[in-house]
Formats: sequence, C-alpha cells, structure tokens
Amino acid sequence: METSHSHHLETHSDSYLVKIKPEIKLISFFAIILSIAFLSLENNVLILLQALIVAGLLIISKLQPKTYLKRLSIDIPFILFALFLPFISKGNGEILTTLFSLSIYKTGVDEMISILIKITLCVTLAIVLTATTSNIEIIYGLQILKVSPLLISIFSFAIRYIDVFIDEVKRVKISMRSRGYSEKGLRTLKPLAFASGALLIRGYERGERVYNSMISRGFRGTLELEARQFNSSNLILLISIFSVVICIVDRLAL
Amino acid sequence: MNKQYLNVNNLSFEYPDGFKALENINLSLSKGERLAVLGPNGAGKTTLILHLNGILGDLNGQITLNEKPFSDENISQIRKSVGLVFQDPDDQLFMPTVLEDVMFGPKNFGFSDELVKKNSIKALEQVKMLQFKDKPPHHLSFGQKRKVAIASVLASEPELLVLDEPSSNLDPASRRELIDILKNLEVSVILVTHDLPMALEICNRSIILNDGKITADDETYRILKNEKVMSDNRLELPFGFALHHLEE
Repeated sequence: METSHSHHLETHSDSYLVKIKPEIKLISFFAIILSIAFLSLENNVLILLQALIVAGLLIISKLQPKTYLKRLSIDIPFILFALFLPFISKGNGEILTTLFSLSIYKTGVDEMISILIKITLCVTLAIVLTATTSNIEIIYGLQILKVSPLLISIFSFAIRYIDVFIDEVKRVKISMRSRGYSEKGLRTLKPLAFASGALLIRGYERGERVYNSMISRGFRGTLELEARQFNSSNLILLISIFSVVICIVDRLAL
Repeated sequence: MNKQYLNVNNLSFEYPDGFKALENINLSLSKGERLAVLGPNGAGKTTLILHLNGILGDLNGQITLNEKPFSDENISQIRKSVGLVFQDPDDQLFMPTVLEDVMFGPKNFGFSDELVKKNSIKALEQVKMLQFKDKPPHHLSFGQKRKVAIASVLASEPELLVLDEPSSNLDPASRRELIDILKNLEVSVILVTHDLPMALEICNRSIILNDGKITADDETYRILKNEKVMSDNRLELPFGFALHHLEE
C-alpha cells in the first residue's frame, strides 16, 4: 500500500512569511480579508491601497507567477457567477446599455466589479497563506487561537486522511479500468456511482476503526499538538492593522 | 505457579445485526505469557481483542484484568494496561507527526509531560524508528507505519500487548524485524495471526477460534502438529515448512 502524497500547497520557499508564527499569520490574514470584504469600493485610492497590500504580500511570499496563476483558477466559478450579474441584478432599474436585446443594469455592473476585485484579492491572500504555511502549522495556529477543539480535530483528520482516501479512489479506478471500464457516456455513470457508494461506506468504516484505536489509547475529546518554534513578527500585524484602518476610513467617509 | 493475569469467563457477543461473533469464550493468561490466537477469517478474533479493551461496550460474560473487572471506573486503567495494535496502521496513526502520534496515548492517560516525552522516545528507539520522529506518518512505508503503531502503544507502558495480524502485508525483512522486536519485549502478548511460523516462534501457547468458539487451547507446537485440528479449523502450514526438527 503506497501513499501518493497528494498535492500539498506549501511551497517550501525561504520567504519571510514562512518563518513567522502561524497564529499571527492567521489573525493578520483574516483581518485583511475582512477589511477587503467590507470595503465599499466608492474610493479608488483605498481600493488601490488594499490591492497594494495584497500584491506586497504576494511578492514577499516568493510564489512563482505560474503557480500563483494556476491556483488563482479556483475563483473561476465566482467569476462566472459575477459575469451574469449585469444581466440579472436590476437594483433601481437603471439600464446602462443593451446587448443583443438584453439589458445591462448599472447595479449589476457595480456588483460584478465589486465581486471580481474582492474575490481576486481574497483568493490571492488565501493562496499566499497556504503557500507559506503547512497544514500542520495552520492547525497549530488555530489551536493557539483557542478555536474549538472539535473543529481542530475535524480539520486535522481531513488533512490526515485525504491522502488515504485519494489512494483508495485511485486503486478502485485502476481495478475498474483493469476490467475494461472507461469513463465514456452516460451508461458508465452507474458503476461509478456504485464505486462512490462503496468508498463512502469504506470511509465510514475506517472512521469507526480510527475512533476505536483512539479510545483504546484513552482519547477523551481533545487532540493536542506539541509546541513548535517560530519567529514573532510585528510587521505583518502592522500591515493588517493598516488594512483595517483603510476599511474604517472608507466606511466613515460614506 | 503464576497467578492468572487476564481472565475471560463465559464471554459471548452478538453484533446488532444478529451475527453471533463470540460464544461462551473462556480464556486465561498469566503475566508475561505470550499467546497466539489462530483461526480462519471471520472467526471472531478481532471481536475478541476489541473486548479486551472494552471497546464494544456491554459485556455478556466477565473479563478481569489483574483481578479488576471491566467496569466504567476501571476502563481507563484497563485501556492503559492493554495496548491494542490494530491491523491497519492507517487507522491508528492520525497525528501530524510520528512523535505526536506516539505521545497521543501517554498524554491521554495522564502521564507527566516529562514522562510522555521520555516514554515516546524510548518506544521509538525500541522499534528503531526514532530518526523518523518528525515525519508525517502518511509519508512512511507500510512496514514503518506498523512499527510506529506498535511504538504508539508501547509508550503508554502496557502490561499486555495485543496485536491484530501484525505481519500481514510486510516484506520478509520487515516481518523479521517485527518478530525480533516482539521477542525482546518484556510484556504479555496476545498475537492474532494467520502467520503460523510467526506464532510458533513467538508464542509458546495458542488457541484456535472458529465460528466464535475456542476449539483448541494448547502448546503452539502441538496444535500445529495435529493435522486433524488444523484441517478442521481451516489452518495449514506454509508449503515447505516442516516441524520435525522441533520434535521433543
């Protein structure tokens, strides 16, 4: 039984962001994401400042442009959704223009721009965070921040068993192909559905076995990670405070 | 003579779907003894060892460990004393690093921080896996995972080590390492296995479980030599494996 080490997002660079305490990173990034989400987009200078903060963090992360762009593709569904908004979000009914007899509403266009800007900036921050912080460090950071132990357990199990699950999926697929199965046409969906069902049951049974193995070692509801060594950083906190201030200024100006 | 350490009296167990997994099991084990549990697939071997840790809940029958009955008050102490190593190490290793996994048990059982660390390092040394202590368990080979799973139980200083098919899926060299590790441990051992040569090498005594009942309880060598008992219980020595050199 070989494990595949399915993709891990950490890029193992020597960036300044890699070495700082994960709890500080988590809080700072969360604050920046919130201040971007609550930005009104009335003032272009403030938008530009937020974008500069995000771009700065992206540069500091030393992430390869190609990797960044590939990971950015995760926001394609949001972009597709946003592209529909000018046609369906009427707001006060003000029509900018018409395209092939479809009306394009001003409110819809504003909302589209808002979503495109905010989503791209927030997804970029998530990419920078995951590229510079390993899964374990994120869990460790959440533990320091006193996030519910139940959530931390769920998160750490998901990370631990995703590889095991992906391996199982791969083995099932190989065994299907070795018996002449190919994923073409509607008819091939039925065996796929059965295979998914089998994997689901297997996952459930594994859950039960893992739990048994935990209670046999005295588990009473909390997982505790060992302390880890990181650098402290005030710079990232300052950046996040700056971002929050931008948001507050923006809101007060309205 | 040796006082009995583990006693199982009239243990029966039925799964919720009505399947009778164990019927009237009587078994005892003295301190330091090594016992192999043999038997065909689906005989109830795994169910039996889950009971030794009080995992399957309500008991029909009685189990005592060191004269203490399995009860809600005693269960934590019993789980500390009986270390269970599961068949699939992926079920047992779930923490981010090998060391944290090994520390999981002793931490739960309330060992001091210092002792948790000391025991975990010692357990990893015993299974020769200390150099992997900071690795994530899912990056290890199957044989390495199995050794870490054993360390994760040893760190809680069990008095009785229960292993469920520990040699399955291991290459011959890993199997040999495992046998050497088990032979050097100073604890009682219950070894559930289909690997009859391994049972013979490690355990002086064996029981055969078939259809939820104990059908033989004797010296391992005598069981393996008895062709009728072997074939009645769907057991067979590996091809080319001979017992005659062990006569007397």
